[in-house]
Amino acid sequence: MIRQFGPSEALFIVTAVRWTVALTLIAFAGGGIVGLGVALARTAPAAWVRVAATGYIQLFQGTPLLMQLFLVFFGAAMFGGSVDPLVAAAVALTLNGAAFLGEIWRGCIEAIPKGQWEAATALALRFPARMRTVVLPQAARIAVAPTVGYLVQLLKATSLASIIGFVELTRAGQIMNNATFRPFLVFGLVAVIYFILCWPLSWFSRRLEARFGSVPP
Amino acid sequence: MSSARSFLLPRRPLGLLGALGAAGALIGTTRSAQAQSIDDILNKKKLQIGVEIDFPPFGLAPAGNQYEGYDIDVSKLMAKYMGVDLELVPVTAPNRIPYLLTGKIDVLSACFSITPERARQVAFSIPYASIDIELLAPKATKITGADDMKGMKVGVARATIQDTAVTAIAPPGTRIMRFDDDAGATQAMLSGQIDALGANNMTAKTIMDMNPSAQYEVKMMLRGSSRAGIALRRGQTDLLQWVNTFVYFIKNNGELDTICRKWLGTPLPELPVF
Amino acid sequence: MHYTFQFGDVWAAWPDLLWGTWLTIQLSASAMALGLVVAIAGALGKTMGPRPLRWAIDAYIEAIRNTPFLVQIFLIFFGLPSIGLRLDSNQAALVAMVVNVGAYGIEIVRAGIDNIQRGQIEAGIALGLRPLQIFRHIILFPALQTIYPALTSQFILLMLGSSVVSTISAQELTGAANDLQSRTFRSFEIYIVVTAIYLALSMAFSGTFAAIHRAVFVREERG
Repeated sequence: MIRQFGPSEALFIVTAVRWTVALTLIAFAGGGIVGLGVALARTAPAAWVRVAATGYIQLFQGTPLLMQLFLVFFGAAMFGGSVDPLVAAAVALTLNGAAFLGEIWRGCIEAIPKGQWEAATALALRFPARMRTVVLPQAARIAVAPTVGYLVQLLKATSLASIIGFVELTRAGQIMNNATFRPFLVFGLVAVIYFILCWPLSWFSRRLEARFGSVPP
Repeated sequence: MSSARSFLLPRRPLGLLGALGAAGALIGTTRSAQAQSIDDILNKKKLQIGVEIDFPPFGLAPAGNQYEGYDIDVSKLMAKYMGVDLELVPVTAPNRIPYLLTGKIDVLSACFSITPERARQVAFSIPYASIDIELLAPKATKITGADDMKGMKVGVARATIQDTAVTAIAPPGTRIMRFDDDAGATQAMLSGQIDALGANNMTAKTIMDMNPSAQYEVKMMLRGSSRAGIALRRGQTDLLQWVNTFVYFIKNNGELDTICRKWLGTPLPELPVF
Repeated sequence: MHYTFQFGDVWAAWPDLLWGTWLTIQLSASAMALGLVVAIAGALGKTMGPRPLRWAIDAYIEAIRNTPFLVQIFLIFFGLPSIGLRLDSNQAALVAMVVNVGAYGIEIVRAGIDNIQRGQIEAGIALGLRPLQIFRHIILFPALQTIYPALTSQFILLMLGSSVVSTISAQELTGAANDLQSRTFRSFEIYIVVTAIYLALSMAFSGTFAAIHRAVFVREERG
């Protein structure tokens, strides 16, 4: 019942990459939208909005992603909702990403010198207009490098979706290993594929950081 | 300034698409749910059966998308006799019960051993397969009884019959290592990470064939003749009666015996009914 | 399924969860200590070592930072035996965690060391300090002080990441939760409680790191 590891096994692993990429993009998009809201909430004038956003960030940054994934997955099952692993993973990664991206982007917004804010206020711009025309464009410049850096983290984080059964790259590797029992070869291949996906993004992030600067520590 | 703006704007349409896509997936998967009776399945024109694809010889995926195995053959017969299309849904140990209970699958055919504890959560059909649960270890390891497991690392797949059986008899001081599935535990055995493995007789035979030099042998029987049933949601008496009729039928016309010989290499053993 | 929450099964298993929490603390603390050693050693190697060593360290960092932790764990636990190195799951978990946090730690510590101005070192030499003293007081200590927040954040992530070692059946909190869940099927209740425990742990570790900071660094400034 044991198969040899050959081209069809390698192909199975490689074609699973599209699911890793798909999940990454969905979670990045979702996390980006919610994260933007979180970042704005963190810098909002109203105190309760700031506190709520801070609480959200601390909750998702202070608990393991695996637990968040399990809670979404088993929680959906409990309340009779869909238990599709892809959806559960996308939701969990979106919520988690919103916390991390929100925090990164808040840092970028707050890195804008106070003079810019004051000048915008002096020009009689209200908060939304201040944000949109003066602060966010400048913040976006320094946000690009760490955001791309986060994209790398997200891509690696999709590997956890394998634990709830979503067949992305890591799970494909597990399935092939279970069929061939060549763990060093199989997981080595999986690691190399992740490296091929992540390293260019990491390199790009470093270049962007050199060009545009990054969030001050 | 304007070049910086472009970093923010393109993300919004993509995000909207992503959100719509996720919502659509949510709606799409809940629609094909909750078939309660035979008529519902006939109306749906398809039977969704959960199978494992990581558990030879009951379920395996030799070419990625093509599934085969004991459970798959039984599933194909089930759909054929019901006169509907078959949709095989791969399941894993953590999600197989949630999938069944939330209606993502209609029945579960995943070598699921019949126990009263499990019967609190699901309804079982009459048995359609029989496996022995054994304790496997290399020849050199001395295990004559449960007490010899003290101080050893014994691997099992979590929440399986092996898990329950080993947990029940292992003395204190045994390190029971629970892996997410049989494959993980098997892998640990082959890598020498554990001293003994609780497994069914098929997995044991597979391991012995794979690594003859380690000279694995069956040290003791943990649960002889553990029978597996098709699992359904509780309360579906209509469908359960049909599945029982189906199993009875293929037992008597020889089709189940053919499947058993093909995948387990033995004739169909005695399968008591209830 | 159950719409009424049944926490009874969870409270009844509090000894298992407590034991799992203690194991997580032990595992994380050991990994942090060893990870710090790796980080300092690697950072030194990168700033002062010969070119082949710097290249090797860079390769190690890039390999770790561009592959998922889960895959690293599988390689160490399942893959290494086939080349002769057999670690049990707790050992493999510790090794994987140290290897992982070490890669991030090296970059963090190196950034701190690079920040030390040449003038400080020259002043130290002019004052007649021996190389080891210069290293300790002028380079290492101020560097650690500067990068302390970044390093401790990474350590908290490490502690939270320890939940992933449950996949190779290492003994810690998530593994205890998984075992409980497979016995009682009270998935949501169990994971809510365990998530709360992790939250408490990350706050406890943060507080501990803050206390260490006050004890080690602030005193140095006053003296």
